[in-house]
Amino acid sequence: MNLLSKSALSFVALAASTGAAQAQDGAAFYNGKTVNYIVATAPGGGYDTYGRLVAEYMQKYLPGSTFVVRNMPGAGHLIGTNAIYAAKPDGLTLGTFNTGLVYNQIVGNEGIKFDLNKFSWVGKAAADPRVFMVAAQSPIKSWADLVASKEPLNFSTAGVGSASYVETVILTRTLKLPIRMQTGYNGSDDQLAMRRGEITGTIASRSSIDQFVKNGYGRMIAQIGGIEKDVPQLKTLVKAGSGQELLDLIESQSEIARLTAAAPGVPAPQLAALRDAYRKSMEDKDLQARAEKLGLPVEPAYGEEIAKMIATALKQTPETAALLKEAMEKPKK
Amino acid sequence: MTDAIWTGLINLVGNPHTMGLMLIAVMIGIIVGATPGIGGRLSIALAIPFVFGMDMTQGAVFLLTMHAVNGTSGQISSIMFGVPGDGDDAATTIDGYPMAKKGEAGRALGASITASGVGGIIGAGVFAVMIPLLEPVVLAFSPAEFFLLAILGITFIAFLAGKGQIFKGIIVGLFGMMLATVGMDPQTGTARYAGDYLFLWDGVSIVTCVLAVFAVPEMIALASRGGSISSLSPELARFSYRQLFQGVMDVPRHWFLVIRTSIIGAVIGMIPGLGGSAAAWMCYGHAVQSSKTPERFGKGAVEGVIAPETASNAKEGGSLLPTLFFGIPGSSGMAVMMGAFLILGIQPGPAMMTQNLDLVWTLIWALVVGNIIAVSFLLFVTRWVALLTFINGAVIVPFILVLVSVGAYANEGQWENLVILMIISFIGWGLMRYDWPRAPFVIGLVLGKIAEESLHKALGLWGTSFFTRPLSLVLIALIVATIGFALYNNLRGKNAMPVGAGS
Repeated sequence: MNLLSKSALSFVALAASTGAAQAQDGAAFYNGKTVNYIVATAPGGGYDTYGRLVAEYMQKYLPGSTFVVRNMPGAGHLIGTNAIYAAKPDGLTLGTFNTGLVYNQIVGNEGIKFDLNKFSWVGKAAADPRVFMVAAQSPIKSWADLVASKEPLNFSTAGVGSASYVETVILTRTLKLPIRMQTGYNGSDDQLAMRRGEITGTIASRSSIDQFVKNGYGRMIAQIGGIEKDVPQLKTLVKAGSGQELLDLIESQSEIARLTAAAPGVPAPQLAALRDAYRKSMEDKDLQARAEKLGLPVEPAYGEEIAKMIATALKQTPETAALLKEAMEKPKK
Repeated sequence: MTDAIWTGLINLVGNPHTMGLMLIAVMIGIIVGATPGIGGRLSIALAIPFVFGMDMTQGAVFLLTMHAVNGTSGQISSIMFGVPGDGDDAATTIDGYPMAKKGEAGRALGASITASGVGGIIGAGVFAVMIPLLEPVVLAFSPAEFFLLAILGITFIAFLAGKGQIFKGIIVGLFGMMLATVGMDPQTGTARYAGDYLFLWDGVSIVTCVLAVFAVPEMIALASRGGSISSLSPELARFSYRQLFQGVMDVPRHWFLVIRTSIIGAVIGMIPGLGGSAAAWMCYGHAVQSSKTPERFGKGAVEGVIAPETASNAKEGGSLLPTLFFGIPGSSGMAVMMGAFLILGIQPGPAMMTQNLDLVWTLIWALVVGNIIAVSFLLFVTRWVALLTFINGAVIVPFILVLVSVGAYANEGQWENLVILMIISFIGWGLMRYDWPRAPFVIGLVLGKIAEESLHKALGLWGTSFFTRPLSLVLIALIVATIGFALYNNLRGKNAMPVGAGS
């Protein structure tokens, strides 16, 4: 072993030990402190459930701390996210919100008072692959059927400007699909609409329609991201062409779900302690067992890794940004 | 099937542990329900960590009972202080509070609590009967029908306003609908009338508006008038268990109304997307419309208390149906409940019918037994609670105003709602001061939003041809008949003295 690699090795060891030492210092800081965990939606639902689970276990791994979960719903996660960003960067306020805000930031929508690049990222709990799903009674059986449909098919999305809307617009336009979008289907409205037959399909996160498919009411015909093998990946079904960047953007997006972040500029020891506690929580067997019972997948990633993923997602060429902006233009009637 | 019915009951009452949990759930549900602004949804979300250790039946019974009795205690503050806990309790306030002012708080509470319980039990019955009919009934209602149902509800304003007040009623109703347009436009994604305020993107908070229009003006009036809420002393009002009992007996006396409003409530509850407030308001409207003496409403008619209360408890049974058998939650509260069911190992969906029929019946029985426990308990304690209406207003007003502020804040956790509360309170006070009806405001606000959203969807899906769907035609006929009836009533009564129907 030469000198160079030796010193490199010792440097790594040193870095690791300072990291651990920092986390220890930081953990001491949390003794006797109250931490606000902001969930940017109303109680109930995925963000709230993940949020409460994360808060409970982080409290366990930051001895002496008390985590208080606060719901701050409104304006499609903007109110809560703005609040987390604007909080005092002392590491005592963190929270969770929709990764879909990446789209809003690229386009520069109104109401955004944050820069996703600057958050102190703690970790993410899951990946949330997207699927094309159609109602069971529909004649569409496969991707080929969808593309070949002569009639435009009614696909539901949530409100205009929501992540589900943006993704449906992007996919419909770049792949030139025969889809007519019907907006305003929030929560599980779309599932009932598919049962009634007024809606043919939807592009949704896999976890949200899992139960619906298991009950035999729908079938998945293509998937974006994720590791499941039962549904063909969209990539294998379409030819690479213009707009490939947008498909990549959706895929990279689906990898980062159920984030936990704190305001920019949290001191290093505290941030190290938070990340450490987050990692221990995700590796906790109890948490994993409970998440499984809840049907919540756990595919964690931590700290810097998230920051890099977000930075990649945000770093789009002006052309892609323009494409996205065009996709998000308000529909003209 | 009959086997399952009895197994279900035995699973419930035969197990002391389950019954114990149920008692706790009833108490929690009552306390949460009695506090304005804290919905049942939050209480389920908070209770989830506790059900982890429970077995399937016990956990489900615990959560369901807690949720089901929520509406039973909500009316206490609506009746005694005119402070509705949420949108559906507001309908109870309209006649409940005037009854308290007449010294009949005991009777109003007796009637409303009993009505809630009976409504909950009939709702459970409708649940049981509807299981085989669930699919065709629920799937018959699409955005086209939601739109027309909302319009039908809005036309009830004509009756609620009282004779000679129909134009005032329409103006107030339109004002409510106007406020309902604040927020994100569902069609274009543009924020309307929101300025730079993000909290307005989701629209004006209904709970805040309801508190501002009903509770605050009444408290201002009480404070300036002096004295107590009840204009009579306890002796003069002959306040006693007897008055409470009189209220209880009002329910069987109006048995036909009770059955109708329970069924309407349960069916509206079954159809996801209309929401609980719609059930209470439509049943209130129905009570006024079908009464031989509609002029008594708004001034302390006991039917005005019975109708919305039966509906709001009956809908709980209904809303459980799509959640359990489709695995599609009917309301946000039920969405949380479904998450909890998954934790307990219950897989909602069509398989429930074949694999878990015992559990289904246990849940139906839990609705029945839970309502009975809640009603008995509340009837027992309200004897003392109702005495608060005889206390001097100067003592009580500050407490109520604190309760109102907490309710307006806690519902969404946004301080901006306190500002909205103050602004709308001025309007509410003005309406009361000059004897304009206030109920149409809430109807416009609640149903205006549903009407707008479902109109957009229906037009997007079918264009204007949705008006010719068979069920649409039936609803249109009902709307036309309602308007015609209201016009006839009003024109006929034109020469009569206009009756000032308070609110």
